[in-house]
Amino acid sequence: MNLARHRSILFAYLGLILLLVVTGLVAPGFLSPTHFRSLAVLAAFIGIVALGQTFVVIGGGIDLSVPWVLNAAAVLMTLFAHGQDAPLVWIVPLLLAAGTLVGVVNGLGVGLFGVPPIIMTLAVNVILQGGILVYTGGAPPATAPAAIQFLAVGRIAGFPVIVLLWIVLAIVATLLLSKTAFGRYLYAVGSSATVAEFSGVPTLRTSVAAYALSGFTAALAGMLLTGYSGQAYLGMGDPYLFTSIAAVAIGGASILGGSGHYVGTIAGALVLTVLTGLLPALNLSNGALLVVYGAVILVTVALASEALTDLLPRRRARRIS
Amino acid sequence: MPDFLEALSVAKRYGGIVALSDATLKARSGEVHALLGENGAGKSTFIQILAGAVRADSGSITLGGERFAVRNPEEAQRLGVAAVFQELSLIPDLTVAENIFFRREPLSPLRTARAGAMREATAELFARYRFPAIRPDQELRRLTLAERQVVEIAKALARDPRVLILDEATSALAPRETEWLLGLSRDLAAEGKLVIYISHRLGEVRRIADRVTVFRNGATVAAYDTASVDDDTIIADMLGRQMERLYPERRNTTTGRIALSVKGLSVENRLADLDLDLREGEVLGVAGLQGHGQRELFQALFGAARASGAIEVWGKPRTIRSPRDALSGRDGLALVPEDRRNHGLLLAKSVRENLTLSVVKRFTRFGLTDPKREAKLVDDMIAQLRIKAGSPEQAAGTLSGGNQQKVIFGKMLLTDARILLLYDPTRGIDVGTKGEIFTLMRDLAARGYAILFYSSDLAELVHVADRVAVLRYGRLAAILEGAENSEHQILRAAMIDTRAA
Repeated sequence: MNLARHRSILFAYLGLILLLVVTGLVAPGFLSPTHFRSLAVLAAFIGIVALGQTFVVIGGGIDLSVPWVLNAAAVLMTLFAHGQDAPLVWIVPLLLAAGTLVGVVNGLGVGLFGVPPIIMTLAVNVILQGGILVYTGGAPPATAPAAIQFLAVGRIAGFPVIVLLWIVLAIVATLLLSKTAFGRYLYAVGSSATVAEFSGVPTLRTSVAAYALSGFTAALAGMLLTGYSGQAYLGMGDPYLFTSIAAVAIGGASILGGSGHYVGTIAGALVLTVLTGLLPALNLSNGALLVVYGAVILVTVALASEALTDLLPRRRARRIS
Repeated sequence: MPDFLEALSVAKRYGGIVALSDATLKARSGEVHALLGENGAGKSTFIQILAGAVRADSGSITLGGERFAVRNPEEAQRLGVAAVFQELSLIPDLTVAENIFFRREPLSPLRTARAGAMREATAELFARYRFPAIRPDQELRRLTLAERQVVEIAKALARDPRVLILDEATSALAPRETEWLLGLSRDLAAEGKLVIYISHRLGEVRRIADRVTVFRNGATVAAYDTASVDDDTIIADMLGRQMERLYPERRNTTTGRIALSVKGLSVENRLADLDLDLREGEVLGVAGLQGHGQRELFQALFGAARASGAIEVWGKPRTIRSPRDALSGRDGLALVPEDRRNHGLLLAKSVRENLTLSVVKRFTRFGLTDPKREAKLVDDMIAQLRIKAGSPEQAAGTLSGGNQQKVIFGKMLLTDARILLLYDPTRGIDVGTKGEIFTLMRDLAARGYAILFYSSDLAELVHVADRVAVLRYGRLAAILEGAENSEHQILRAAMIDTRAA
């Protein structure tokens, strides 16, 4: 990867390192291997949801439907499985497909019918929320099957399974963005849909695929999160709206599309998780904690954003006439 | 009778570009005075100076014997000069009457606008000048483009100006409204006002103008009484004589094979029933005044506009629904679009990514792109077109205009398409690169490409194209070749009815 053209990603990692150093000074016990492992697990959930979000944002859109795609997958899985492992064989593929389908609907609404991404995905989010409330009658469903719990909290040779899964997904995402025609098309569509169209890029197919991927990763994260907490509950996806978008932004993607990379989003997910873990050490009330959390993320995103990096000295592009 | 408006040696530069060098116009009140000139001759700058939107660098203007040096449109309007520009200045959310009295609303004692008074005054104005049927309380957004143009004229007239400037006012109007406007201009002149009338339509000019002034390259080249001059003289004045060694030698490389055949192509009401054949090895020029269907022709062929009619490519019928359709396969069509920055290039992306955007599949193996194969395509194209970039990774937006255009050419040449649609490919490009592009076009033709070439610069069509198709009102007005392919004949065909419709 060309680092000069991905400066903002570099900034995300510099920020992460800075944050870890500060953390080490303020709370030395915080960076113990055990603690670090649990941070990585928490970061994995954000990282997986933010994977699809990264693709959507690079393509010039935004996916606000992740909270309830995630939540719906979680709730439906526990409802269908009744705590049993065996039915997961069909439940998991079915729900991943359903999440993908929701993404396709988002993508078609935006790409084919011209609904603004914010409206389209927000509407789908509300519809899913309502649908799940109606379907469950508002009662919390059963507990998560053991196999899912293993994926979320189990370890292989001391290594958390979900972190391994995250690494695999990260490699796939990086290949998709950097080494495939789809990746090329996605950056082109996000930079200028018109230019992409005039260049023969399959613009509709490309943006639908990005939303579909976001639906897929949100559904996947929903099921894994159920395994982590042992059960599904209503509202469990809500924090991921903010964190998935913040991770993408901290990772250096322009919210206007056309730039960014999943490699940056990984740093974004880690930054958010370390912050979340660090703030309780400040002994604040819950409310005050949220205020600080929001403010810190705001500042971090602002620091990582193009507006600021543009102010810093930059190797000047030579103008040749 | 003394001249009411007298502008002498007016000049205006924008940075290094001279928009006006020596513009002189003398006009009497009570006449319709036509101002003619090619695009870029300086007509717009001149009337913007009269309207107070632009300030002249030098020269003198007097109006009714007094020095006329206005600093803004308000002042110009106070002195009785009102202009109707091509770009409309109306607000879609307001009614017709509110637009006409915008910022001059009659006020009540409480300083609120008196809607009733505005409506009445508007109705009076409409009745006085026999305006076409538009109600004063209609919301502007509900009106057609032509009706909005009429409202714009009403807005100018509401100030009861001494000088009314109409800049291509009929270009948006339907025949009936055009008739009305021509009549209105005569009536205003009869009232003793001065009407300055800018139009490309010589027929209209001849019907209503008492006198004409011709601009070329920012200077006045001639002024006549309309009755004493013929169309050909006016056209020759507009074109002038320019000799440049910019163009490559033109060898006829046309073969008998038809690359693109268009039958009965129509696009809404902009392009009507067009038949056109483009042959292998040929550069076929397309000419026409602005807005006579050239843009729609290119868009339709590239699948960027809905069209009806039959298109045959290399002898086979073909339906083109999208640019992706157009570009695909050996029988494809590639477009170098008019708007480089918004349609042609990803400005923030590298030269490499731009060049290969249409052919990513070509260096993809087992789903993954192969940087070596891509680099070869990119390096070859950079060398072939002599694109001046620091490296293939340089952002396309930082290149000069000419090199940006070369990148777009390269992107299209990498596709398999052998029919090229070039829409004004040299606009805003330095002379050196222009020459390179013309040479490239003739080389491509010699290699069997078929090229459809629109240019707003007639000289380019005359010197580079084998034949020129002239469009007027969305129809084919003439096909000129050989000795007939001259700027004079093109402009004649574009402006005047040369054959029965």
